[in-house]
Amino acid sequence: MKLIRKNLEKDGEGSITMCPEEDEDMWHAYNLIRPHDILRASALRKVSTTSSTGSVASQRVQLTLTITVDKIDFDAAGGALHISGRVLDENKYVPIGAHHTLDLELHRNFTLSKTLWDSVALETVRAACAPGENADIAAIVLHEGLACICAVTEHTTIERQRIEMSVPKKRSPEAHERGMERFYKAITEAFLRLFEIDKLKAVLLGSPGFYAAGLRDYIFSFAEKTENKPLLRARPKFIVEHTSSGHKHALTEALTSPAVKAKLADTRYAKEMEAVDAFFRMIHTDEFRAWYGAKEVAKAVEKGAVGTLLLSDSLFRSQSVAERRKFVAMKEEVERQGGEVLILSSIHESGVRLGNIGGIAAILTFPLEDLDEDEELELEEPKLEEDGGGQN
Amino acid sequence: MTPQQKQQMREGLKKTREVLGHDIPGVSDQVIEDALWNYYFDVPQTVNYILIKYPRPQQKKQSKAKGLLGFGFQASSPWPAMSAVEMGYFADAPWGNIPQDRKGELVLKGPQLRGGLLGGSSSGPKSSKLAALAKKRKEKAQAATPTFGEEKTSISLLSRLSKQTSSAKNVLEPVSPAPRPSAQSPSSLPSGSPLRPPPPQTSTARETPAPLDSPQTDPKARTTVDLVGLDQPKTQEPVVLVAETATQQKALGASPSSFAQSIFGERITLRHEITVTNTTLFFVPGNKEAGKANPFAGPSPDDVVAAAQSASKGLNKGTHQKTPAPTIQKTEEVLKNLSLEAAPAAKKVEKIDVLKAYSESSAKENINFVVVGHVDAGKSTLMGRMLYDCGAVDERAMRKYRQESEQIGKGSFALAWVMDQTEEERNRGVTIDIATNHFETPNSSFTILDAPGHRDFIPNMIAGASQADFAVLVIDASTGAFEAGFHRQGQTKEHTLLCRSIGVQRLVVAVNKLDTVDWSPARFEEIVQQMQQFLTNAGFSMKNVTFVPMSGLTGINVVRKPDDNVIPWYNGPSLLEVLETSNKHTRAVDKPLRLVISEVFRGGVTNPVSISGRIDAGYLQEGDVLVSIPSKEQAIAKAIVCNDEPAKWAVAGHNAVIHLSGIDPIHLRPGDVLCNPTSPLITIKSFNVKLLAFEGMTPMAVDVHKGRLHAAGKVSVLLQTMDKSNGQVIKKKPRHIPPGSLARVTVELIGEAIPVEAGNRIVLRSSGVTVAAGIIE
Repeated sequence: MKLIRKNLEKDGEGSITMCPEEDEDMWHAYNLIRPHDILRASALRKVSTTSSTGSVASQRVQLTLTITVDKIDFDAAGGALHISGRVLDENKYVPIGAHHTLDLELHRNFTLSKTLWDSVALETVRAACAPGENADIAAIVLHEGLACICAVTEHTTIERQRIEMSVPKKRSPEAHERGMERFYKAITEAFLRLFEIDKLKAVLLGSPGFYAAGLRDYIFSFAEKTENKPLLRARPKFIVEHTSSGHKHALTEALTSPAVKAKLADTRYAKEMEAVDAFFRMIHTDEFRAWYGAKEVAKAVEKGAVGTLLLSDSLFRSQSVAERRKFVAMKEEVERQGGEVLILSSIHESGVRLGNIGGIAAILTFPLEDLDEDEELELEEPKLEEDGGGQN
Repeated sequence: MTPQQKQQMREGLKKTREVLGHDIPGVSDQVIEDALWNYYFDVPQTVNYILIKYPRPQQKKQSKAKGLLGFGFQASSPWPAMSAVEMGYFADAPWGNIPQDRKGELVLKGPQLRGGLLGGSSSGPKSSKLAALAKKRKEKAQAATPTFGEEKTSISLLSRLSKQTSSAKNVLEPVSPAPRPSAQSPSSLPSGSPLRPPPPQTSTARETPAPLDSPQTDPKARTTVDLVGLDQPKTQEPVVLVAETATQQKALGASPSSFAQSIFGERITLRHEITVTNTTLFFVPGNKEAGKANPFAGPSPDDVVAAAQSASKGLNKGTHQKTPAPTIQKTEEVLKNLSLEAAPAAKKVEKIDVLKAYSESSAKENINFVVVGHVDAGKSTLMGRMLYDCGAVDERAMRKYRQESEQIGKGSFALAWVMDQTEEERNRGVTIDIATNHFETPNSSFTILDAPGHRDFIPNMIAGASQADFAVLVIDASTGAFEAGFHRQGQTKEHTLLCRSIGVQRLVVAVNKLDTVDWSPARFEEIVQQMQQFLTNAGFSMKNVTFVPMSGLTGINVVRKPDDNVIPWYNGPSLLEVLETSNKHTRAVDKPLRLVISEVFRGGVTNPVSISGRIDAGYLQEGDVLVSIPSKEQAIAKAIVCNDEPAKWAVAGHNAVIHLSGIDPIHLRPGDVLCNPTSPLITIKSFNVKLLAFEGMTPMAVDVHKGRLHAAGKVSVLLQTMDKSNGQVIKKKPRHIPPGSLARVTVELIGEAIPVEAGNRIVLRSSGVTVAAGIIE
């Protein structure tokens, strides 16, 4: 994303103009644009005009429209962002109050005005506009009969295609081998269709057993057969890793491996992953230093005990302004106390793991017991927990 | 033969000739080639064999039938390749005065040890179209008479002669009035042949063809076959075809040659009559229903077998007179049945009361067991050994495995190759997927599910264990190996826990590789102690656990009992004996049908869509309409195959192959469930599980395993933890579940809903570790 203009008041009100440059920027825009914000962007609108004789002519007009945002819809696989709302400024085609859905497009500026640019939003802008190296990774995790082809960027992991194929088992060895070949072929073709090899930083193949190595061998024998030069050149980009299955969540295992970490441009991802890992380890080993759930973490923050606060960016997309403010305040409080705050992308694998426990978790610097004890002690249980997490 | 084999054949022939020279009478190139083929191109063995068979002096050539070995383990084509007459074996023998050395000895053994690889041999030569046709006809005949193989034993001796059938059970060839020993070509026999070869020959029946029938029995027996077969090329297929056709179409009516007439006179007529009734009894062309009109009206197949056995034994002693009686009785019975319930000739499949048929069937119980254990404990080798010693793998295949495994420097893996059929598995020396094999003993019919030990393939092991009635846990007793399998990440523990949580109650612990520690009783005792403690904790009742010391590679105490001084401190049963003593399993036959697909494959040209799987509950029969869940597509069960044999029906507990029609294979995936359309399974996306946690749990992403089903899901809510002993709730909504505790959680599927229902046992895994196992509520 390119930052075009930044126009902020002291009280946090103002507007920022940006230009999205790649698919991932749509994800950032999705995290920035909130209901009730004001968005100005170019739009294509179908306009019907009725002539004096009553005949109706319709034409598509390129316009720049300003709308107040009602609803945001993000399509991860397609990288498209649809924002619907009501038109704020009148022009000769569109009256005020008319509904319009803006589709943000690459390489077209948009201007976003907020009544309050909070620290989280500003950080998102900074992260989005940081001139980072493009760290695109193609990742394929597979086991016999199932493969997930994913695109991994700094902030997103998107499942581009899932291949399910029934491979004959051992009953007839020849049929099994033919089946595996067919399976590898389908993966290879999908992979070549979905990615431009030259732009990839690394290709990660992960599987239990020998399937990943088998796939790599197949891909290169395929490349040799078809004399696919770019693919042959890309040989060093291929990394084979071990994962426990071919499901998308097994990608975490491959991404944390040292070989992959070395290939990743920045360590943000690895750091997030480590923090989430540490949290899950600690919840079993040192129960009272690892807490999850909004209420529990809020109490821990009050007591100044939070060392690392893990937040999912989905929390900041909440519909309720008060809710969003609460989490922003929590984040600012922890930073003030000297703690570390990590905001995890909810479509990244580590963010998904955090999402499973409600999107908020904290590692404390000292153990706190009974954070989950509430007023409601009327039941026979000495500890009645208010889970908070899990229902996400 | 592949070009490579042809090349090997040429070289082998040349070498053998070099050694043997050309001066041995009767040793033609053909004979040598056959021997080479038998011995898998092993020249020294071939030479040895020929020298034994064809001593240089006087004796003229011994016949040697071309092997049927290429058919792998199916043993489905029992026709001898060439008759003794054809071979000229008796050309110089005077009628009625057979030299003593030509006489074979025929020893009858029980109708046992029939088995075969479900997967078939990887390298059997393609059978010709004629052979395929003949086989098909035979199958058709079998389909018409479900208990064909067994009832056949009751066929009168004479009619059997005319039919020349020797089923896989190998009915005795009857002999001529004079109580003389006779023998039959072993090439037509399955590996577990009841034949004992004549004394001068080497150990197994497989590799040493016995002399063919003596001429006096022969002409009578082979009139139909040989008269036609003589002008056929010397392959077995045409003979089979002709014989089959002759039997089926009552072509026996063709008038005997004048030669036969003059020699046998009236006896031919007698034979003819009986054959006709017999044909009606077992094959009614165009009327499939007749055969099974009342399949259980007669004596049970086992009784019939027993009767036939005793009759045949008696015959050997020369008291063969009484045999015709039961046949006539039987014939009358069937004729009566025929007249009463002559079913319409329509192709429509008649519905039978499967439950009744099942409860009345006295067939051997089908027992499925899974073989588990740490990687390299020797599971596949042990099972290969068991199949080999039980005769379910023939000598030639074994020889081939030996030679080929030695070629790639993995000689000790030869037995494992019986189970590990894919190239990848053989090259890497590990089992990757479940191998399903089948063998029989006199009392039981077994299905082996050989599970992979490597931790990456635990999903496959779960699939195998969920098809099993009990488990054989193989433990590597060699120094250090037991400990490696037993530590926290070892599969000895994980597999055992998985088996237990999948519902396996009974465990046979095979303490393997004891030969590497000189059969040390201390080592055995140490392992037993440790395992007993662990198994008790895992929830096994000690009365359901048996320990057996053995060695899979050498085969000591697997099938064979050890020699007296090998394991002096052990006098318990061998592994096979332990397997046979398994108690009767109760099957949920009266529940709605649930057949979990474990694989989808192409069963052949006529059966483009076939599935295999275990019937968890209920039953089905040919012609049933089934619905596949979750695709909700309907299919018709065109044919059912249980344990390599066509069946009319199958019930819970069977691992069956079902040929389907009316469905596209894309609607069938491993893990899907076939149900009855009237009581289908309802797929669900979210369910509560009462589980035992092996690892600490929080709300987390998990893989949900149930049999072949492998779906991505997540634990979304932790509902409560419970007291292990009394099930009391300890804590509601816990933040996490500590390892080893009993808990109740909600699991949500990511992606599509899966076919599971309350009472199903599932396993939850995450990052390659088994997290928990439990029952859906």
